[in-house]
Amino acid sequence: MTMYLPQMAKIVKIIRENPQIKTFVLEFRDKEYNKSFSYEPGQFMMVSVPHCGEAPISFSSSSTRPGTIELSVRLAGKLTGAMHRLQPGAMVGLRGPYGIPFNMKELADQNLLFVAGGIGLAPLRGVINYCLDKGGYGRITLLYGSRSPDDIAFKTDIDLWRKNGVDCRLSVDTATEGWDGQVGVVTTLLSGLEIERPRSSLVCGPPIMIRFLLPELSRMGFRDREIITTMERHMKCGIGVCGHCHLDNRLVCVDGPVFDLAQLKELAVEELGELT
Amino acid sequence: MKGLILKKDNLVPLLRKIRKGGKLVAPVQNRHGDTLFEVIDDLDRQQLDLEHQAQSSLKPFFFPQNDPLATYNCAEDYSFEPVVSAEPTVYFGLRSCDLTAVLYMDVIFSQNGADTLYFARRKEAILISLGCNQPFAHCFCNNTGSGPFLEYGFDLQFTDLGDSFYVEADRARGEELLERWSYFFTPADEDDRKKQYQAVLEARSNFRRTVHVDPAVKRLAADPDLQPVWRELSDRCQDCGGCAYICPTCTCFTIVDQPLAETHGIRLRQWDSCTFSGFTRMAGGHNPVNHAEQAIRRRFLHKLKIDVEKHGRPSCVGCGRCVDICFGGVDMIRFIAMVNDLKLPAEEK
Repeated sequence: MTMYLPQMAKIVKIIRENPQIKTFVLEFRDKEYNKSFSYEPGQFMMVSVPHCGEAPISFSSSSTRPGTIELSVRLAGKLTGAMHRLQPGAMVGLRGPYGIPFNMKELADQNLLFVAGGIGLAPLRGVINYCLDKGGYGRITLLYGSRSPDDIAFKTDIDLWRKNGVDCRLSVDTATEGWDGQVGVVTTLLSGLEIERPRSSLVCGPPIMIRFLLPELSRMGFRDREIITTMERHMKCGIGVCGHCHLDNRLVCVDGPVFDLAQLKELAVEELGELT
Repeated sequence: MKGLILKKDNLVPLLRKIRKGGKLVAPVQNRHGDTLFEVIDDLDRQQLDLEHQAQSSLKPFFFPQNDPLATYNCAEDYSFEPVVSAEPTVYFGLRSCDLTAVLYMDVIFSQNGADTLYFARRKEAILISLGCNQPFAHCFCNNTGSGPFLEYGFDLQFTDLGDSFYVEADRARGEELLERWSYFFTPADEDDRKKQYQAVLEARSNFRRTVHVDPAVKRLAADPDLQPVWRELSDRCQDCGGCAYICPTCTCFTIVDQPLAETHGIRLRQWDSCTFSGFTRMAGGHNPVNHAEQAIRRRFLHKLKIDVEKHGRPSCVGCGRCVDICFGGVDMIRFIAMVNDLKLPAEEK
């Protein structure tokens, strides 16, 4: 059953990003496979954990840094719970990469606005690193919303991005002592922000965030084709057969997970409400 | 190729010969009076039933309800071993709808790479269909373009001519079978061909139902948002999955690990149904589909709209099995009637 057969990969390192998120640094056991493996920003892998089946997890790393891949996983259910209990040296199964990636060629030379909520920064982290490593992209701005200061993930990356000229702006829903940054949902970071054309915004986060963010970005003058998001769905096969990730007449695994607003407007996407 | 004649007295002897060369699957009536496709071990003991519609389709033979994809080991290391099993099998007595359904599954399981397990079985299969002179109670294959007789797609097609069968081949494997057992057959003459043609014509007028599939397909293409229909049918759906399980073209599945011990287990592919509330539920409990109002939307749109867009024809084959299985009346015939009865906004004014 080759198409469903995972490649085994070793956890070489685990980075705790926040109380719910861990980044797993992985290396395929088969050295040749590891060497030739490649993927693009926005794609995902089906991850196997012993006795837990499989779940789709997007790359949080960039293929510009070969040798290992990184998957950032939020503790959410049975499989992710079991994965969080694994230690460095343990094996997981991986198959992929799957899905339509961000069109990095089309984004070249553009000013890029990244907007992320919670674990939504994981796939965008891969894209940001890809842009920084490759070069040839315009000014990069990141708006990142977390529940509280303790929930801010990828802090090391954010520090590095700042050093590399990325304009990183953070907000928290609820402040704790010592927080002197923005308080409120991530959309509050949009006020006063100006992104010059050519430009695109890449957004990823919980459906409720996307739902409020899309009209805000439209109001700022972003065209539908300039607003790009990645959708999340329950998936079993990853290759367009099992049916679970249906999104109107599309399947998120093979027609997505990356969609722009122009595409989404042609579909009935229940969690995003009426897109106008 | 020209048609052949098989005397009915020769059918069981022919099937006996076939069975000696490999597996034989045919509709059999069991001691409860149910007609199901079964592996034939003993033609004297098992009652071949060509009078009734088999309650099940051939789906489980190519795409079993519980299908091992791999075994896994997670003792010290973690590894997977693929499982593939298939043996030469002749399927006899399937109806045109069931054959059409297998051809549809061929398309589904070849998307993004040929499905190893499915095609391992499919490549070993010879399909001998029996056209329906007398369609069954809920049949509407004439409205879905999948019967009562087919012009292509079968290895062999049988037509009942009373005391004999008219036999025609469409694929090489069918012709090979005819050559191998040629002494059972005689060439059909002009009279036989006329009788066969007559049977096909008569069958078309023997349908007890007329189901207006095409108008419903057109209606759904124009406006798939039929909230009152989704709400009523979702409300009546009891989440049993029977319609999807019995449907010869429902192929959605889940993949689960079944631990056999701490150290090893089996990875299974299992039938699933888009009507189950858990079908779209994500880790942590969020469900992007409002189950109460939309549970059955996916099922009917998939069959009558999305597959028309993708594959050029609806994936309902008109077998009517969903009518019998659902006590809530959430079946294809009811749905099509509801869609066609809905007043268009323009008509309401």
